[in-house]
Amino acid sequence: MNLNVLAWRNLWRHKRRTLITASSIAFGVVLAVTFTGAGDYFYTRMIDAGANMGMGHITVAAPDFNRAPSSKKYLQQSEQLQQQLTQMSEVKSAMARIQGQAMFASAHKSIGGMFFAIDPQQENADNNLFIKAMVAGNMLATASDKTIVLGVDLARKLKLTLGKKVVYTTTDKHGDIVSAIARVGGLFQTGSTEIDGAVALLPLHSAQKVLAYQQDEVSVIAVILHDQRHSHLLRDSMQSLDTFAHTEVLNWQQTQPDLAGMIAVDKSSNYISQLLIALLVAAGILNTMLMSVLERKREFGVMMAVGLSPYSLFLLVMLESFWLAVLGLIIGTIITIPWYLFMSETGIDMSAAYGDGFSFGGVLLDTVFKIRLFEESVLAILIGLFTLALLSGAYPAWRAGRVPPVESLKAI
Amino acid sequence: MNVTKLAARNVYRNSHRSLVTVAAMAFACAMMIVFSSLMDGVIAGSERNVVAMNTGDIQIHRHTYRDDPDIYKMIESSKQLSENSRQAGFFAAERLFAFGLMASDDSSSGVQLRGIDLVSESTVTEIHQHILQGDWLKKDDTHGVVIGKKLARLLDVSLDDEVIFVGQTADGYMANDSFQVRGILKSIATDIDSASVFMSNTMLRELISLPEQGAHQIVIMRSDRKQDLAEATRVVSALIKQDLEVMNWQQLMPVISRFLETAQVQTLIMLLFTYIAVASVVLNAMLMSVFERIHEFGIMKAIGVSPWQIIRLVYAETFIQTLVASIVGLILGISLSWYLQQYGLDMTSLADGMTFAGIALDPVWYAEMSLSSALIPIGFLFVMAAVAVIYPAVKVALMRPLEAIHHQ
Repeated sequence: MNLNVLAWRNLWRHKRRTLITASSIAFGVVLAVTFTGAGDYFYTRMIDAGANMGMGHITVAAPDFNRAPSSKKYLQQSEQLQQQLTQMSEVKSAMARIQGQAMFASAHKSIGGMFFAIDPQQENADNNLFIKAMVAGNMLATASDKTIVLGVDLARKLKLTLGKKVVYTTTDKHGDIVSAIARVGGLFQTGSTEIDGAVALLPLHSAQKVLAYQQDEVSVIAVILHDQRHSHLLRDSMQSLDTFAHTEVLNWQQTQPDLAGMIAVDKSSNYISQLLIALLVAAGILNTMLMSVLERKREFGVMMAVGLSPYSLFLLVMLESFWLAVLGLIIGTIITIPWYLFMSETGIDMSAAYGDGFSFGGVLLDTVFKIRLFEESVLAILIGLFTLALLSGAYPAWRAGRVPPVESLKAI
Repeated sequence: MNVTKLAARNVYRNSHRSLVTVAAMAFACAMMIVFSSLMDGVIAGSERNVVAMNTGDIQIHRHTYRDDPDIYKMIESSKQLSENSRQAGFFAAERLFAFGLMASDDSSSGVQLRGIDLVSESTVTEIHQHILQGDWLKKDDTHGVVIGKKLARLLDVSLDDEVIFVGQTADGYMANDSFQVRGILKSIATDIDSASVFMSNTMLRELISLPEQGAHQIVIMRSDRKQDLAEATRVVSALIKQDLEVMNWQQLMPVISRFLETAQVQTLIMLLFTYIAVASVVLNAMLMSVFERIHEFGIMKAIGVSPWQIIRLVYAETFIQTLVASIVGLILGISLSWYLQQYGLDMTSLADGMTFAGIALDPVWYAEMSLSSALIPIGFLFVMAAVAVIYPAVKVALMRPLEAIHHQ
């Protein structure tokens, strides 16, 4: 006898009950897709935006630079390192940058902040958030002119407009305090006041001159990957290479601990809420299967009396749970597909609730709520669903296998 | 007919099913109580980090000072104004600010100097207790400063290290002096962590050559925390009788105050999702219990029980189960929340530091129990259960007795 067919037929003997349990499974599927998909989308956005804000997915820096940044700690032979990096298949781009703290002064007043010195030839809107965020003037044209690009809030506080002069003061390679002058060439606005009020961009070679660095001496090489999920593995494999022996290779979790912390916490609370709903769906399956087993005692007794082994009965009930999960999955998929398409294409605009955006772990968040699922998340949801169904079917199935034939035949 | 007694017996008759249903409801209810009290705690904690550590309830500035913080834009009569606010039952403190460069042996960083009144500051903020390492400022220490956590890392300094400040004085000269780091603060907000240097206002006045009188900011705190914030803002505005900008923290930080408001909505959404899953459990359990007893209901109808009484019976059965579930859920939820209120949920293994919209979140999350965080989940549970059994109750109530008796 084919147990699968029997299990399927048994399910449809109680149409209403089966459909309700299947729809609660379907509901679980929709929620799991939404929650996990929101996480996958949102975290990737955050990580990529964070990487584009200066340090990349992976950062190659001088030892100890990340713990306590200082101009005394710098990389040598940056061009060689960069070349090595761009040859790696996971790497989208690798940019040499100098990151430092500085005080910016106008005729009006002085404000503390930080700068990134960049080579405009290496940077584009895909690997540098600030290029995308330009609102006035132009991005730096060459690596060696005397222009500076400021955040709008920083410029406003300093009362600077395009073409005005600004003096920046910082500590050089030897620990001496040095100053240089630059003209404001452009303004950017990321939307995050913490960044717009404190960050400036400088041409790489001009900054190197000020800091007494050689042409191939920089503080970091920021590496942008095609897929942020590879950052951990790639960092580990880079650390074992001789090329990077005298450097410190860090991933974004280390250079942006605030962002990593927020994501870790958000992720775990996301998983906990999903687990909670999963447990409730499991309780629903358990209840349904248990009732259906208990009310079929007599039937199971007959089946045993005609020679079915306790094991086949156990298997039969497990198959019923399995087919119930399949049914739930089908209903769930039918509901999820249009929902997923809508959410991944259009999304829900939350700007009414949050305004233009706010920062999360120091990274600006956009306000359109969208979802996107990684392949591994789809797999995780599927495995989770079937584990859940089979686990909650196990107890009722075990009960079914334990039915004593004679007594259950006597029962009404 | 005694509906309650009959319902109780019916619930007891199928103890297996009732147990699973009650357990599912109780579990969901307990989880939701814990969830909402934890959310309340985190919200209260971040609000405290904003208000009690830095902004205070209300701030007074010269107009345009916040957009363009210029050391010359001082509130001249600040002493008088703070005195007036204190007489009106508020706490008040004056603050001075200046900008410049702070350098250690290895590196330098742009900083914001915050000159505070050591006596009155402790009445408005709790920052003096928010020390990670070392001590808070002392009155007779003329070279001690307390700095933010991230700034200490940027300058690579630890306690008692020397730092040098370079900046401009109010009369246009170079300001230059060395200080000792006496304390390092715990995380408060991105800008404070990475750029703030706290010192006494007398030290700052001397360093920057500011006049003896006046301040850049007056911070006001309500003495009665229950007083409405907007109302307090109006009282303070009326008090000062000058053309100054008076704003409360919700106006100063609209994004955060909006976020804290929407957090409430998030709790409700979570509640809704969880209870939809609960509702499907209840619906299925009651459907099964009703349909396996159709024969019985048929007989009841045949002997004269009205449809209305049958609806009442089904509802009574659901009500009994929900009641038991909510009592169990309440006990479980409250004890777990109580534990989290005392000992907190330690997130440090997941995250060293967390910031949201520039505000630092404490890595240990404490729950904060309130009547609403217990009653809303329970109320919601009853509503969901009641909605879920409409269908089975009505269905069986409207069935014809003969059909029901023959139903197999």
